[in-house]
Amino acid sequence: MALWREVMVNGRAWLSVTAIASLLGAGVALALPMVLGAAIDAIVTGADVTALVVLAAGLVGLSVLVDLGGAYVTASGVAGTTAWLRLRLVRHLLALSPANLGRFANGDLVTRVSGNAAEAAQAGPSTVGAVAASIPPLGSLVLLVLIDLWAAAALLGGLAVSALVLRAFARHTTHAAAGYQLAQGAIAARLSEAMTGIRTIAASGTAAFEAKRILEPLPELAAQGKRMWHVLARTSAQASLAGPVVVVSVLAVAGWGVASGRVSPGELFAASRYAAVGAGLGGLTGVLGVLSRARSALARVQEPLRQPVLGYGSRDVGPGSGQLEFRHVTVESLLHNVNLTVQGGSFVAVTGRSGAGKSIFAELVARLRDPCSGDILLDGIPLRDLSEHSLRRAIGCAFDRPQLVGRTVGDSISNDVAGAHAMQVHAFLSRLPQGYDTPLAETPLSGGERQRLGLARMWGANRVLVLDDAMSSLDAVNHMRVAQRLEDDSRTRIVVTNKASLAARADLVVWLDDGKVRAAAPHAVLWHDPRYRAVLQ
Amino acid sequence: MSPLRYGLSRLGRRPLLGLLLWSLPELLPAVLMGIAVARAVDDGFLAGRPLTGVAWLGAVVVASAIGAVGSRQVLRRLGDLVEPVRDDLVQRVVRGALADQTDTGAVTRLARQVEVVRDTFAGLIVVTRAFLVAIVGSVAGLLSLSPRLLVFIVAPAIVGLAAFLATLKLSAARIRESVRAEERLAATSGMVLSAARDVAATGKGAYAAELAAADIMRQAAADRAQAAVSALRTLCYAFAAWVPLSLILLSGRSLVRDGLSVGEILGALTYLLAGFQPALGKLMSGLGNSGLKFLVTLERILEVSAVPEAKAKRVKTGATAELSKVTFSYGPHAQPVFTELDLSLRPGDHLAVIGPSGIGKSTLASLVCGLLRPVSGTVTVTGDCVLIPQEAYVFTGTVADNICYLRQSATFKQSLAAIRAVGATELVDRLGGLAGQITPASLSAGEKQLIALTRAYLCRAPIVLLDEATCHLDPVAERTAEEAFMRQGRTLVVIAHRVSSAMRAPRVLVLDGVSADLGGHGDLAERSALYRDLMLLSGPALLSDPARSLDPAGLLGDPDGFDPGAAARLGQHTGKMIANGAVTQEELRRDGASR
Repeated sequence: MALWREVMVNGRAWLSVTAIASLLGAGVALALPMVLGAAIDAIVTGADVTALVVLAAGLVGLSVLVDLGGAYVTASGVAGTTAWLRLRLVRHLLALSPANLGRFANGDLVTRVSGNAAEAAQAGPSTVGAVAASIPPLGSLVLLVLIDLWAAAALLGGLAVSALVLRAFARHTTHAAAGYQLAQGAIAARLSEAMTGIRTIAASGTAAFEAKRILEPLPELAAQGKRMWHVLARTSAQASLAGPVVVVSVLAVAGWGVASGRVSPGELFAASRYAAVGAGLGGLTGVLGVLSRARSALARVQEPLRQPVLGYGSRDVGPGSGQLEFRHVTVESLLHNVNLTVQGGSFVAVTGRSGAGKSIFAELVARLRDPCSGDILLDGIPLRDLSEHSLRRAIGCAFDRPQLVGRTVGDSISNDVAGAHAMQVHAFLSRLPQGYDTPLAETPLSGGERQRLGLARMWGANRVLVLDDAMSSLDAVNHMRVAQRLEDDSRTRIVVTNKASLAARADLVVWLDDGKVRAAAPHAVLWHDPRYRAVLQ
Repeated sequence: MSPLRYGLSRLGRRPLLGLLLWSLPELLPAVLMGIAVARAVDDGFLAGRPLTGVAWLGAVVVASAIGAVGSRQVLRRLGDLVEPVRDDLVQRVVRGALADQTDTGAVTRLARQVEVVRDTFAGLIVVTRAFLVAIVGSVAGLLSLSPRLLVFIVAPAIVGLAAFLATLKLSAARIRESVRAEERLAATSGMVLSAARDVAATGKGAYAAELAAADIMRQAAADRAQAAVSALRTLCYAFAAWVPLSLILLSGRSLVRDGLSVGEILGALTYLLAGFQPALGKLMSGLGNSGLKFLVTLERILEVSAVPEAKAKRVKTGATAELSKVTFSYGPHAQPVFTELDLSLRPGDHLAVIGPSGIGKSTLASLVCGLLRPVSGTVTVTGDCVLIPQEAYVFTGTVADNICYLRQSATFKQSLAAIRAVGATELVDRLGGLAGQITPASLSAGEKQLIALTRAYLCRAPIVLLDEATCHLDPVAERTAEEAFMRQGRTLVVIAHRVSSAMRAPRVLVLDGVSADLGGHGDLAERSALYRDLMLLSGPALLSDPARSLDPAGLLGDPDGFDPGAAARLGQHTGKMIANGAVTQEELRRDGASR
């Protein structure tokens, strides 16, 4: 996988520290019992023990240092690689053409950025870890063979027994959790239902009654919870027996060796330590689990990175008043060979049944997508040749469901007070707890308020305004005021709407049908066609 | 209350005692393991009696089996300790959510955070108990082997543990930061990515990426800080775990000279390496990970779910409301929604409130029924209010449960009368009568409103506030419902969604965001420009222009609550439920004609 390699390359500096630390740590873990065993034998035989104790202390010190440094370098390296992946993903996603981005749900993308990127950054250390973690148990087995072949056999036998016990454990717990989750879900469902009527509940003082109603399944939850502990108790009691059985069986076999003189007391001690480390062989599956999680997380991060971005040209807009020209514009199965010229400064309504291609038309003018063939020109220059800066300064776009971005609600419209006044949202903004500086996340917005903010955000563009059904949620008074401001304006205005009142204000109505321009004429002319009237509301 | 104090105070005495008593069997292997190794080596393997050695080791397995029986009982009792705490937290979260109208995270808190506390609380009890068992077992065993060795182990352990506990506060702060950074990152990236199209359209790609980048880097910094603290923790563990070993080995010669056998040294090392060290490691990682997670999560739950003292509610039977010089704003830096508003409602009054959306109509309703308090001025209400908001509240249960929600004692006859008066008969019949089950998701917004209106009609509060409570009904159904309330003669305030609804009230309050204008239709037509605008939008002037008369829109309110379900059902119930804002031409004509 390409991204796998990139992640490894990105973290190569800290990953090599991680690798060295893990290998050193594993080496120390294997050497220490040997040294300690030799020290014990020295104590027993009365030889000088100081050198061995100094060696052991040195090994312990080294393992602590390695552990400490390795863990810190790894954790901070993972943090760095995570941030690198996240930034890359966010930048790429923002540069995609919106049509390409649309295939991912928002919650899904957030999970990729926050959860999956962090897991994917574990790819490096978990690869290193998988190798390093297998060294101590495997090494223990080898060293145990060197001490006493029979003791090694006892280790394997003990492991087989404990594996059987652990398998039974996994099967039991998953079953018990289901009943608990069911009861918990029942309470959550009642609570979230009540939250939809929270204003009613507060106004009628029925909170206590509601609490009683919501908490009805609580005794069931408690009963299911206790059942879970009982199941856990049974299985983990079995598991707690498995460890001693492994160690004791190795000790017994090695002890027999002591009696027959094959094994020294120090080696007996070392054998018992290797048995304890070797019992960790079963834990290796955990490391492999992290590895496979990192792998699938990487795949999830990579998928959106493969989508192509919407590039920009480098030209500035030329002189002009906002004339738009469609030349043989075709978008696969959505728009067919559209040819059209919109005079600079005119007010154009775009109408048509749903699915007729209105939103595609708006997206093309706002250059949120490129046509498959043909060109759209602003004052004689193809949109795709314009630089991002000059394109976005010239053309503004407002949507049916605008999504706002910014720390404060003012930021979301670049604190454009003139735009807020024009689009009737200034009064609303200045009544918020901190006015324009109210954090966006703490500003409850109705659909109409959101649309007016979306309109205010667009208002700063200097040549073309594109409104894609952007006034559909406005109440009548605000609708009237905004429509009036639009009518009085002198920029080119492309308004996608099926509202007759708006179409009536336009200089020209472009009537789209099945991806083609069915007619382009003033509203008063088209009005006589009953099929046109049927399109409008 | 601090989370620690909360956790300790919630430990039930009886289950805790049971837990401790059932820990006694587990002490058996903990005490025996070192002694058994010592005896097995000294009396068995080294003495040339391997069978004796194996017998001693076999004793460890038997002791472990007895210990396993104990640990099973211990875990069974864990539920008795943990589940009551979880019960209490669930209740707190639910009560807290119901008390705080702005709380949007309650369901997540219930499903995720309470579970985290449950698991970590159990984890804390388990590691602490296991540590105590290991310590008591090792100490007892070492005492019988060589009391001198005890000092070697206990002294460094105390120093290491103390240092570790000192780092916990710092760790908690780091974890708190990290959790907050994670929440912020998720929120920011959610906002930025959901707005990718808008970001492209406004050319704000760099700004949006910068917003996300700031939180991404903050989270990375928080993670690094956390890693630094956990390095400190490793150091504390290393000290407590490994210093005793060096001490025992260094003094090994003198110990043997004082008569300690090889087996006894091996036994002591067994206590150290197989009993004490793993328990210490688990305790430290338990406290450092799940302990802190417990602390931080519980802290958050207790903080958010604090319920203010409930006031005893007295039944008030008056029917007047008096607003005097009421000024209200949503914050000290906000423009006021009302400035010195005077409004007086007499028994049986019928008032309509009109104005553009977002101008403060719902705020007025909230002030009257006491959900909000004025910044200055007084609100005196002598009777109970029933407020039916735009988003009608219907819950899973029977029709009767829903309708008698505010009057549990209502009789069958009274309920049926209310259903008939409001015009919900057809709906209730379809649902299977009063005993029929309601599944809120299967009702359209308009159907929900009919249920809520019936509920308000049935209850006995003398003041009724309808806050766009009929906006999803068609004009005919709206008229039926409103007229039912008018016939009851209760004090009625209608925040009107359509002009037709405002026309039914003798008095109208016009809110335009700057001033409030109260009067009859004639006065207002003369002096209020907004009132004239609103009439113009729906009046006969428009009927002459075919295009504009077709303009839809809820004329007075914000038609945000368009309910796709309602539209989808239009085919089945023709003319009954209409999506919000779909005012028909007949409706406009009627409005024109009625003037």
